[in-house]
Amino acid sequence: MSAPDLLWAYCVLRAGDAGPTDARGIGGEVVARVEQGGLAALVSRVPATEFAHAPLTRNLDDLDWLAQVARAHEAVLDDALARGTIVPLRMCTIFESEQRVSEMLERQGARLAGALDALDGRVEWAVKVLVDPEQLVRAAGPRPEASRAAAGASARGAGAGGAYLRRRRDERAAREAAGGLAADVARRIHARLRDWALDARTRPPQNRALSGHEGEMVLNAAYLVERERTEELRGIVGELGERHRELGARIELTGPWPPYNFVPGGRAASAA
Amino acid sequence: MSTGESRFPAATASTLPGHPSEPANLADILERVLDKGIVIAGDIQINLLDIELLTIKLRLLIASVERAREMGINWWESDPSLQSLDPSDEDRGRLERENRELRDRIERLERRLEAGEESGR
Repeated sequence: MSAPDLLWAYCVLRAGDAGPTDARGIGGEVVARVEQGGLAALVSRVPATEFAHAPLTRNLDDLDWLAQVARAHEAVLDDALARGTIVPLRMCTIFESEQRVSEMLERQGARLAGALDALDGRVEWAVKVLVDPEQLVRAAGPRPEASRAAAGASARGAGAGGAYLRRRRDERAAREAAGGLAADVARRIHARLRDWALDARTRPPQNRALSGHEGEMVLNAAYLVERERTEELRGIVGELGERHRELGARIELTGPWPPYNFVPGGRAASAA
Repeated sequence: MSTGESRFPAATASTLPGHPSEPANLADILERVLDKGIVIAGDIQINLLDIELLTIKLRLLIASVERAREMGINWWESDPSLQSLDPSDEDRGRLERENRELRDRIERLERRLEAGEESGR
């Protein structure tokens, strides 16, 4: 005897909006719509053997499983975003039946409609600033040859212990100067984009093992932008990149993303 | 069913503009789908931040933050938009604070040693 399937919900859109027509979700399942009160949720079937509470808890700790499901979730949202305004649901919003999805749409109708209005015609863009630490140290610090020479001179005077401490001090000074310069670059770029965009969020830098980035990530930010201002954003990012190039700073722009970071009351509402 | 056409028309929305064929990086996706988006109670009650997943999340986030802090790049810590409502972050915050305090103590000790070296000559 097999357990009945569950329904995974991806996002909510207005019932009048097209949404994807032939999209496939997690496990290649067809994405369907559940409509209620002018809203539509995009859902697809997932097996209870993988997505009921106990197996889900186990599976979420498996990075490969998590990556696959997260990518499938994102792909459905990307597809829907290309066709209109959506409210992204956080991963793992799962229901037992279409009836339960309808009830949710009815219960949360005002909140979801409010979020759709707030996000209308707006998308999220991600901006990362990556710096080359060695280039920054060179730009910020004293000449490494000079400090090596000084360290050599003092080593003769004060022994190996003194040379070690001197070297540590020089390294620390160079690191602090480079860090200060990197923070300045990040702050300037963020300030420019924050003032231009409708809204902004910063996040901790990403883990290299997942992102595969080169250099040090000194800014990881998201900006809420009107769809029709994409070209303008590209222009500003290009110009900022030019201006900071000599410091070895690189700006990465990705998007458009579903406006995950800008759902009104997304996080706070969950605590209430 | 569709014949020969892609099932995912125009689904390249989240790729890097300069690299249209490159899929979005996993870090970009996970930091969004796990942590952001509207939270609605479904029938499977699972707190994404409250299970073993937490160990993954911490492993993913902390390593890079520590590395950046070594360079002194931690200005986002004072950014109010980073203040989290997630109680699990409080533990992390405490550990990070302790870590920072220890680091500062080591630096102070090293400075005193340096000063001792210099005045002792």
